[in-house]
Amino acid sequence: MTHRDQLNTIFQMVFDDDSIQIHEAMTANDVDGWDSLSHVNLICAVEHHFNIRFNQPELLVLRNVGDLLHAIGTKLEQVA
Amino acid sequence: MTFSSPYFWLFLISTLALHHLTPERWRWLLLLGASYLFYWWQAPYLPLVLAAITAISYLCGIGMLNTDSGFRRGSLFWGGVSSCILLLALLKYGSAGLLPGTSALQTMVTIGVSYYTFQALSYLIDIRLGLLPPEQHLGYYALSLAFFPKLLQGPIERGNDLLPQLRTGKPFDYLAVRSGLLLVAWGLFQKVVIADRLGMYVDTVYNNLHAYQGLPLLVATYGYAGQIYFDFAGYTSMAIGSARLFGINLTANFNQPYLATSIADFWRRWHISFSRWILDYIFKPLQLGWRDWGATGTALALLITFVVSGLWHGASWNFVIWGMLHGIYMACSVWYRPWQKKLHNWLGVSKKPLLKLWQIGITFQLVCLAWVFFRANSLDDALYVLQHLWPLQTEPLQGLLMIKGDRELYITTLLLGGLMTTVLFPSLKHGIHTLFTGRWRWAAYYLLVLIILVCGIFHQGAFLYGRF
Repeated sequence: MTHRDQLNTIFQMVFDDDSIQIHEAMTANDVDGWDSLSHVNLICAVEHHFNIRFNQPELLVLRNVGDLLHAIGTKLEQVA
Repeated sequence: MTFSSPYFWLFLISTLALHHLTPERWRWLLLLGASYLFYWWQAPYLPLVLAAITAISYLCGIGMLNTDSGFRRGSLFWGGVSSCILLLALLKYGSAGLLPGTSALQTMVTIGVSYYTFQALSYLIDIRLGLLPPEQHLGYYALSLAFFPKLLQGPIERGNDLLPQLRTGKPFDYLAVRSGLLLVAWGLFQKVVIADRLGMYVDTVYNNLHAYQGLPLLVATYGYAGQIYFDFAGYTSMAIGSARLFGINLTANFNQPYLATSIADFWRRWHISFSRWILDYIFKPLQLGWRDWGATGTALALLITFVVSGLWHGASWNFVIWGMLHGIYMACSVWYRPWQKKLHNWLGVSKKPLLKLWQIGITFQLVCLAWVFFRANSLDDALYVLQHLWPLQTEPLQGLLMIKGDRELYITTLLLGGLMTTVLFPSLKHGIHTLFTGRWRWAAYYLLVLIILVCGIFHQGAFLYGRF
């Protein structure tokens, strides 16, 4: 299962919607219920699932799903 | 010189004519000069404050670009941010007589300072996060802070939105100029016809509260909700319209806020450029930093963010409580929201149209409750309003609205009708002229101008949000 597939499952779980199919350009405007309050739940779920920890500047520059996937990849490389 | 004064219109038309006569490569200089002149007109010392904030943020931004040292970049960033905040606090709270040893500042006007200082702060933070490259052309950067249509009350622009537009010259565009002029006229209508007329009633009640109880207090509070919206939305329409004459698109600041179905939704529709600012630069860092605390961390971050928002409006208990109320509303929603859908399903109302109306009604009442603290002249006055709203004493309509004679009654009825239509119909949010197309559009233009001339109040002048 690729990081993208795993992230898709996390999105479906956090936003309680099995029909979500993520793509790189997807932003909060494209997902029903993705606002600043649910965003933190998404980040916590990602960190827990991949066993990583983002710092604040890394989180503040995320603009879309592509940025989040890139950040996950970079973090996992650092851990490995 | 406010947007509703004839001097401003003369200034606007002259600047527009000169702008189109000036070669493209020098237009930034003309607009910068005109903006500083406009600001000097408010008070002769204000351009110095603007120049200081511009110089600090520009030099720190360029300094961050030209160094590889992390320590130096951090020092420049924190130095720039703290200098801007100190200057803002000194002027804002010193002019309000709240800082010791600042008696010389007490007569100072600080209009606009909060808005461009927040823009300068967002510029530095975005550079620090790598979201924005520093602007190397001092002229373009200075103009991005000083551009006169948004100088006094925003919208608070982001570098990514405004700077690219200032770098590229725009040829004369008839459609842009026409829509700009219509927005200016629509904003003027909202300000001098609706907001200022509502303000006459609101001021009469709120400046002499102890003479009233019951219904007049309630009507004045709802009236203030209308006044502050039409005053600020009117200003914003005029700002966006004026900027469009020069080919510049400013950020939208309002999206029918009183149709919000929750307080979170209200803040996505009210003073959008400011709420985006506090969300991105105060709430998000706090919330993400405290994410291990779960809902408690988010609720605390919301509470602090809105208290800061209150303090930005002024250092008084009224503004702190106004901000705190919004923070408490939002914090409660953090815990309530997971249960909301289940509750609606259990009650069988989740797909009922009445649910939305109920949510809009409740949200509006909560917003109005907070407006009591925002408008009242003191904390005691705000508490008096809340303690004397009940029982609702009924009075004859004319006595209640304190209007004398038929003309005022007709005008007030017309205004309230206009107010309701613009608040309720989404297609009208850009102006009543959008109802008419083709040959009938000229009838709409004449009607708009006629209503402004007949019903407008031109001696009120100042915009409410100018003092923040």
